[in-house]
Amino acid sequence: MLAEKYQDHIADLLARYPVKRSALLPLLNLAQKEEGYVSESAMKEIAEILDLTPPQVYETATFYTMFNMNPIGKFHVQICKSLMCGLVGSDPLIQWVQQRLGVGPGQTTSDRLFTLSVVECLGSCGTGPMMQVNDDYYERLSEERVGRIFDELKETGNSSLKSGPFMVPEPISR
Amino acid sequence: MAESNNQDLVTLTVDGMTTSVPQGTLVIEAARQVGVMIPHFCYHPKLTPDANCRMCLVEIEKLPRLQTSCSTKVAEGMVVKSNVPHVDEARKSVLEFILANHPLDCPVCDQGGRCDLQDFSHQYTPTTSRFTELKRVFPKEYFSPLIETQMNRCVQCMRCVRYCDQVMDVKALAPSGRGTLTEIKHFSAHELDCEFCGGCVQICPVGAITSRLSMYDFRPWMLKRTDTICTYCGDGCHITIQKKQDELIEVNSTQGVGRNNGDLCARGFFGYHASVHPDRIMHPLIKQQDGRFAQATWEEALELVAEKFQGIKTAFGGNAFGGLVTSRCTNEELYLFQKFMRGVLGSNRVDSSARFGHVNGTLPLLSVQGTHRWTATFEDIVDADALLLIGTNITETNPITGLKVKQAVKQGHAILVTMESLLPARGTISNITLLATHHLPVRPDHYHIAIVGLIKSVLDNGLVDPGLETRAPEFFRAIKAAIDSTSWAHIEEVSGVSREVFSQSAHAFSSSTRGMIIVGQGVLRSPRGAEMVTNLLDFLILTGRHGQPGCGLCPLAEENNDQGAIEMGATAEFLPGPIAIGHHDTRQALSKLWEVDLPQEPASSLMEMFRDAQAGQVKAMYIVGENPVESLPQTGKIKEALESLEFLVCQELFLTETAQLADVVLPACSYVEKDGTFTNTEGMVQPVRQAIDPIGESRPDWEIFSALSVVMDQPMEYGEARDIFKEIRSVIPGYGLVGPVATRPTPKVDVVQQYLQEGFAHGLATRYVCTQDQPASDTPFLLASTQSLFHSGKFSTRSKGLLQIQSSGAIMLNPSDAKKLGIASGDSVCVSNAHGAVTTIARVLNRIPPDVACFPEHFDQDIRCLFELHIDKESHVPYSKLTWVRLERVEKGDV
Amino acid sequence: MKFGEWVKTLIFYEILMGMKATLTHLLHYKPITLQYPHEKKPLPPNYRGMLALLRYDDETEKCVGCDLCEAACPSRVIQVYSAEVPGEPTKRYAKEYYMDMTRCLFCGQCVDACPVDALGMTQEFEWAVYDKRNLQLNKQQLLAIGDRAFPVREKRIEFQHPNVAYFNVSFGDIPQKDA
Repeated sequence: MLAEKYQDHIADLLARYPVKRSALLPLLNLAQKEEGYVSESAMKEIAEILDLTPPQVYETATFYTMFNMNPIGKFHVQICKSLMCGLVGSDPLIQWVQQRLGVGPGQTTSDRLFTLSVVECLGSCGTGPMMQVNDDYYERLSEERVGRIFDELKETGNSSLKSGPFMVPEPISR
Repeated sequence: MAESNNQDLVTLTVDGMTTSVPQGTLVIEAARQVGVMIPHFCYHPKLTPDANCRMCLVEIEKLPRLQTSCSTKVAEGMVVKSNVPHVDEARKSVLEFILANHPLDCPVCDQGGRCDLQDFSHQYTPTTSRFTELKRVFPKEYFSPLIETQMNRCVQCMRCVRYCDQVMDVKALAPSGRGTLTEIKHFSAHELDCEFCGGCVQICPVGAITSRLSMYDFRPWMLKRTDTICTYCGDGCHITIQKKQDELIEVNSTQGVGRNNGDLCARGFFGYHASVHPDRIMHPLIKQQDGRFAQATWEEALELVAEKFQGIKTAFGGNAFGGLVTSRCTNEELYLFQKFMRGVLGSNRVDSSARFGHVNGTLPLLSVQGTHRWTATFEDIVDADALLLIGTNITETNPITGLKVKQAVKQGHAILVTMESLLPARGTISNITLLATHHLPVRPDHYHIAIVGLIKSVLDNGLVDPGLETRAPEFFRAIKAAIDSTSWAHIEEVSGVSREVFSQSAHAFSSSTRGMIIVGQGVLRSPRGAEMVTNLLDFLILTGRHGQPGCGLCPLAEENNDQGAIEMGATAEFLPGPIAIGHHDTRQALSKLWEVDLPQEPASSLMEMFRDAQAGQVKAMYIVGENPVESLPQTGKIKEALESLEFLVCQELFLTETAQLADVVLPACSYVEKDGTFTNTEGMVQPVRQAIDPIGESRPDWEIFSALSVVMDQPMEYGEARDIFKEIRSVIPGYGLVGPVATRPTPKVDVVQQYLQEGFAHGLATRYVCTQDQPASDTPFLLASTQSLFHSGKFSTRSKGLLQIQSSGAIMLNPSDAKKLGIASGDSVCVSNAHGAVTTIARVLNRIPPDVACFPEHFDQDIRCLFELHIDKESHVPYSKLTWVRLERVEKGDV
Repeated sequence: MKFGEWVKTLIFYEILMGMKATLTHLLHYKPITLQYPHEKKPLPPNYRGMLALLRYDDETEKCVGCDLCEAACPSRVIQVYSAEVPGEPTKRYAKEYYMDMTRCLFCGQCVDACPVDALGMTQEFEWAVYDKRNLQLNKQQLLAIGDRAFPVREKRIEFQHPNVAYFNVSFGDIPQKDA
């Protein structure tokens, strides 16, 4: 599937490295972009492309926390739990979000909309507490603002409260 | 290793002791040499240093911090201290970290009692821990039938992962996750699917990876060990059988010992239960009038056999006897069997299972270079510059020789040329063609023409040894003329390999100084096997590699003692030595030693015996451990031949199809119950030792021959197997000098000279002629009976461990063929040709070439009927490994 | 010789003193021999009597079949045949357990060696039998001795402390660590 759909892109990735195996991370990124998570079939396919065994791909994919190994919801809510955000109250916020969504960290709501993750520093320490939903940053959070964000996301799939986008290249459209 | 020589020695001091070691040695190894044991988990001499366990920290003067001795190389004047307080302190801390998560379940752990972590804990740690946190617990996804992982015990040294990658080249294990939550896994939650070599079980320093076959059956201190030799292939691996009372518990092998250096394959590691299978024959059996077997005593059985044998001998003479022995017997037994046949019964009709293929390797070697053994050893494979593998899926047939090839390629950077039907596709077991510099994908029936192509490119590209033309002009001209009769177009069309690939391979091989050819079952057990081996020897001579140090042609033995069977004279054309059967002086010497006259009749080999049995010339047969009814196709009419005999004696472990036809069945011992020697494929004679008492009333084969000869009044009496070995030594001077390395014979100059002058002409008219077997349009698939990594002959199909990995045969197909036929893995497939039709299960595998189907020979009871039997005119080898079939998908309802 | 001593000699004073003791005891008679089968002496709490196998409070056997008692025994009394618990992979137990009490020295080293306190020494000592074979005890007999000798049982090991929780527990029963 990947090989057929992104033939040129994969060829381009492979051409960038002297050793085939080096293209593993870009290909895993591609797989995650495609399905939202790194599926087993994708890992097997990547193994075949790169002349590796599936366990070797699995090894790399599980090492990096930003690869999702399970299907995620439409919105991947990643709240910062590091020191700076913690000082301005991320802990109670996380508790509140857990209650609001009814799921714990790493879990997805039953309507497959929100997946909650608690992550380390996202580099926006001046404006904490903050979170990242898919590719967008939401800063200076309060319970009220998070509630609004969730409602807007649920209704329109977008929220006016986001700051950014800061990421290059363009965010995922799904 | 070759690179270390005496000039670059480095002197260093370890704990006050000064020693000199070669440059590049690791500090931990240097310390071991002066008797300082530095504790370690992740270091292993076979693997590259990883330095992840931090246990081997030592103080090295002038270096700022403590250094890991497993990754630091020695330097001149280095002063290493391993017994100073702060080094102890560091080790204590490392152990405290490891024990923060290691469960204290030593009482129920199979490693408890021989665990590195346990030992070091006793040595270094306080009995308490400062960690109060909960220990990590990994959820369990499946329970493996063979290799059980208990990851809570893992110390994350990555030895298993590195072994699987660097030594076995399987890459089935990988660490998943990170930090303390790193878990050694196969792929996600899938069950481990790999070569099952057991290397991870052996190399794990703790009890994280253990064998389920012996799980909880023992504690290490209860085990009694017996060092012996594995019986499952010609590699002759050293194995240590561990038993508790008389129960086989486990098999392992020690690093640094034997030809295998501690590495094993699935057959060696998990296959040991075959010997204690409940179906073993416990008592002698005599067939009654009604065709059923009745239990008898040894006296009754031996007396009956002796009486019948005497009767037939008086009535029809010695030539009415035929004898067949399996190459799984020890050298002593093979020797005694042929002595019994030739000396006591007076028959020259003796053969062994070396006839099924190994003679195809030995006969050309004898006629071209005068040796019956390899002119190289496993060490030469490791040191080789270029290796040419022909017709051998070496990983599956001879796994440990395969490891030597892998080592040569991965560590020695040797050039590897494979001529093999397998495609270079990655699978759950390693594929040697993936390591090849040049791979020539050749269909199993096209090896002959591909070898011709290789020789042609040597001649066409001017790669011929410059001195050869003047040294042996006739040889050169004759070979050139014979080769020139085949055109490149024909070779390219038939073999499917382009001229460029042939010449690249020929260039690669000729550019090396240490080039070896390894020939496998694909050549030895397929039609024209002996001719192909002779042609390959011509190739060696032409490239000038013949007779050079570290060069040679190495035919791989399939059974553990194929080589020994030939050397002990248990084949039709040889007396012990092997000396040609007509050799006058040897006959005289043997007559004198055995105190009998040797039979004068011409020798007859396996297939001739069955032919004569059907014709009524052979009246009685003595079959030891062989099962020709099952191993040869029905078209050979073996069963009919055996039924027409007056008297058939079988000496067996199990009541096989052949044994069921016998009049008397004598229970024999398997390799774990007897003493003796095996000769491995490279010609090394190694001792086999008794591990457990004989099962039931079974007796070692040599004892039975001896007892029978006594009852027949021509006693061959020996106290123990070693007495027979002494006699063999008196027959073959210098035989079996048991040492750490195989003796390396060199080609005999006079024989080679003779071959170059006139010997080459023998068979030259035919051996370069390329014939082509066209598939009929209705049977487009070439069905090959292949060997599986997980079995050896039919013997291993009695082993419960190996049956867990592979319990039945499946027809293996290429994905493109499967797609064409609409077949998926697990579908029922009808395989048919003019001889019949068989329904079996399909398995789609990337490595199978198009238009070829493979079926494991170990489960061929049903599919055997499709094969035909061809007999080699020259070497009398029966070929039955290839046939043409058609495949059709069968709906589930139709079955 | 003094006068007092002379008088004592004269009146056989020592004999009188001896007779006094005798007569006193004669009057206040208290026997010290125990009438054994009818009377029993209280045993000290650390008395090393008959060996027994113990159970946890939920009736499960404590023994994990580790063979350490067998290794510790100086007179080879114990024979353990360990195996996996049927249906509970990777959990170990003693499939068979034999004690040849004819050889036992009651040294208590097996009890010391046991990592899970599955062995106990009871206060029982009346094990005289007519047939020596009756002293070959199997697992059921040893458990029965434990049942009658130790009515108060310990809690199962995995519920005692979470850090030893996965000591010989079948993996299905492992309490999971919080994420």
